[in-house]
Amino acid sequence: MTPEQRKLAYELITNPPAGSKLAEAKEWGVDLTLLYANLERTPSERARSFASIVHSYNGLRDAAKKSTLSQ
Amino acid sequence: MKELPEIFKILYDASLEFVVIGGAAMHLQGSAYVTKDVDFCYSRTPENIKRLAAVLAPYHPRLRGAPADLPFTFDARAIAQGLNFTLTTDLGDLDFLGEVTGLGFYKEVKAAADTQIIDGIPVLVLSLSGLIKTKKAAGRAKDLYVLPELEGLELLKRKTGVE
Repeated sequence: MTPEQRKLAYELITNPPAGSKLAEAKEWGVDLTLLYANLERTPSERARSFASIVHSYNGLRDAAKKSTLSQ
Repeated sequence: MKELPEIFKILYDASLEFVVIGGAAMHLQGSAYVTKDVDFCYSRTPENIKRLAAVLAPYHPRLRGAPADLPFTFDARAIAQGLNFTLTTDLGDLDFLGEVTGLGFYKEVKAAADTQIIDGIPVLVLSLSGLIKTKKAAGRAKDLYVLPELEGLELLKRKTGVE
């Protein structure tokens, strides 16, 4: 993102235009700051973050399974 | 699961014709959404079917959720006889769809895709408008749930010009 794009994106997520799809998304419960954070990344960085999030999820799921089995 | 760039490189080096779709495409387009599997639409030409069978063979593809003793070989014949495959492989859970709801077959899906350069490799990724179209057409609760995010993201990218 260029500084101009960053500034505009930040304005849009912090104050989405009324009636816009961004405003609807915010109202729906979408955390717009996460979209901003992901757009800050390059496609390659997004691709790498995908697997790390999946690994974190799998780790949590396995830990929860172990915890349930030990009870 | 292997890193996405690594998976893409393996498929790219095999000259496989594919488009990234589903949750992985959403994430690559900027969504915060993540799924456990990676979905692809693949071309069903005889040559590409052979390439798909050959490129996955070293990674022991098997049908996800099927009994371990179910006889199944993911070869060109099986791919030609089927259409959509949900697989567990040594690379991770990979789904290969011949047809995508709301869009059609590879040709139509490719036309709705953007090229992203990922670790130096050009990768076709379903566009936000394509994702929105297919989610609306699928119409399941889990598809409709992500629509507001996709539509908001599309607006954000259009207004800012961010890729």
